[in-house]
Amino acid sequence: MARIRLHHITKAYGDTVALDDISLDVAHGELLVLLGPSGCGKSTLLRVMAGLIHPDRGGVEVDGRDVTTLPPRQRNTAMVFQSYALYPHLSVRRNLGFGLRAHRRPRTEIEEKVADVAARLGLDRLLDRRPRELSGGQRQRVALGRAMVRDPAVFLMDEPLSNLDAQLRTATRMELAALHRSLDATFVYVTHDQVEAMTLGTRIAVLDGGRLQQVGTPAQIYDEPANVFVARFLGAPPMNLLPAVASSRDRRVLLEGAALSAVLWEGEVAERAVTVGVRPERLRIGGAGAAGARFRSRVVAVENLGNDEVAICQAAEERICVRGPRPLGLRAGENVELVASVDDLRLFDPASGRRMVWVPDACDNHKLPAGTVHDVR
Amino acid sequence: MFQVTPDPRTDSANPPPPPRRGGGRRDTTIARHAVLIAVGLLVVAPLVWLILAMFRAPRTLFSESLPFKPHLANLAHALSELPWSQLLLHTVTMAIGVSLGQLLSGLLAAYAFSCWQFRGQRLLMLVVIGTWLVPFQVTILPNYVLLSKLGLLNSVAGVIVPQLSSTFAVLLLRQHLKNFPSELIEAARIDGLSSWSILWRVVVPNLGPSLAALEILLFIGAWNEYLWPLIVYRSPDSVLQVGISHLLSVTDPDYGALLAAAGLATLPLLVLYLILQRRIVDAFVRSGLR
Repeated sequence: MARIRLHHITKAYGDTVALDDISLDVAHGELLVLLGPSGCGKSTLLRVMAGLIHPDRGGVEVDGRDVTTLPPRQRNTAMVFQSYALYPHLSVRRNLGFGLRAHRRPRTEIEEKVADVAARLGLDRLLDRRPRELSGGQRQRVALGRAMVRDPAVFLMDEPLSNLDAQLRTATRMELAALHRSLDATFVYVTHDQVEAMTLGTRIAVLDGGRLQQVGTPAQIYDEPANVFVARFLGAPPMNLLPAVASSRDRRVLLEGAALSAVLWEGEVAERAVTVGVRPERLRIGGAGAAGARFRSRVVAVENLGNDEVAICQAAEERICVRGPRPLGLRAGENVELVASVDDLRLFDPASGRRMVWVPDACDNHKLPAGTVHDVR
Repeated sequence: MFQVTPDPRTDSANPPPPPRRGGGRRDTTIARHAVLIAVGLLVVAPLVWLILAMFRAPRTLFSESLPFKPHLANLAHALSELPWSQLLLHTVTMAIGVSLGQLLSGLLAAYAFSCWQFRGQRLLMLVVIGTWLVPFQVTILPNYVLLSKLGLLNSVAGVIVPQLSSTFAVLLLRQHLKNFPSELIEAARIDGLSSWSILWRVVVPNLGPSLAALEILLFIGAWNEYLWPLIVYRSPDSVLQVGISHLLSVTDPDYGALLAAAGLATLPLLVLYLILQRRIVDAFVRSGLR
């Protein structure tokens, strides 16, 4: 088990900045998920931790020891790759023991550890096979076993499930979670799959364009996104975002948009533009007199997801989605008023994209200050 | 009343198989085969002519038409005139030395250029490519002088040493290594191997087919080398290609014996090919050297 500390990591390739001043702490025994779209820098950051890439600026500490300039073999980390990176010319047995042989461990120790890990992962009968004779799931286990054999303090995983089919991915995901609980090690896990991130991670770090967007528990990331990028990136469908104007009347804060209106809380605010966000599953089909924010829209299409239905609606210039148990009771072409509780609304600053919160102290100033945004770090 | 739902596999909703394509495809196939046969004949024709020439009567190469009575005199003359055991020994030594040397130096250079990053890498690569553009004739004199100073003239070593590196080998292996999965090298680094160990324990074992294909090409090239051995190792028991040329005299060239000797000189390569045929084809297919 180890604690990893990244401070001000910056890495550029020519004019392209892959990592932009990233500082991040990974606690002992934590499973931190690096989540983001393709090209956001998450794999580069993992390779910086592994020692495969040297940062242009900043440093990496493991348990307080500066390892920034140390080669990978001196960092006590193991890595599972997206392609598994099994040595094609070696049997499963020799693949599993490769790292120990490279570190010149005694033969008896190698044999014992390989047998132990093979038994734990159900690879006993496959030890004499070559990687090409294994299925995708078996290869994934061998890759995991190769990392486990070395008994590292840190496991680095680069999208290890992305080459598996959906069914196997779910099963392996659960096994990985169980493995993390059973091993006394710190895990850093890279993925672009939000389901993996939400189900596996004790914390999630969301990256975009080489910058850290938000770090938090899965619930924090989903419920309280730090900015519109995180709001859009998580959720299927993602959070609905609509432009509106915040103002106050009769000491109540109001929201008015082309297709929405809402009465929020008591207070006064100078008129200003905001972006209103609401999760699709938090929207209900409104009836007469239903309280909360109201969205006037027209149903464009209804998608059947099996257990749920998603209605895609046109609300003025914006598309919004509503998700609920099947049947939703909506048909394409029908006008519908959608309702959301005030507690389920999230407000973002349109200029910076960052989430805004109502600060009670600000009531005294009768303003909704633009600067009162969440600290994403 | 219960009713069993229809089996979707036999359901009429399943789309029918796609219609077979028309006769246009057949015409194209015939045309392609015709072109391939023509090219094949062009390639084989000189070899057939060489084999036929080996069995003609002496000095009837340009006078006797087909069919002719097979004769072994040309072969006998070639066999008796040349010191075959010496020539073969020198040629095999030279071809193995040159091809393995080029393979090794090419591998090391290509590994450095493709798998690692260092200052001045691009410039150095351009220099390597640039050496390919320098005509062989330009290097003859300096190499000759150098060999003379080293005392390597008229020896197999003198043929081998200046040819120990090959730009072609560097470029070809660099291309193969650029396609080599970088994650395998990263995995080996994390597993604790040095860059030298990664080359021998991870890269080379997985580059087998490409290395085999290149070694075959280099071996054939070295085997057929004529001009350089002719300059630095001009003796009757030099290497095969130079030795054969001694059958030519300016006043009375015996083309029959020369072609018989040339035919015999191709035999070792032919036997090697027959033994390794499957491996060679496999190596070429896998390495993309088709």
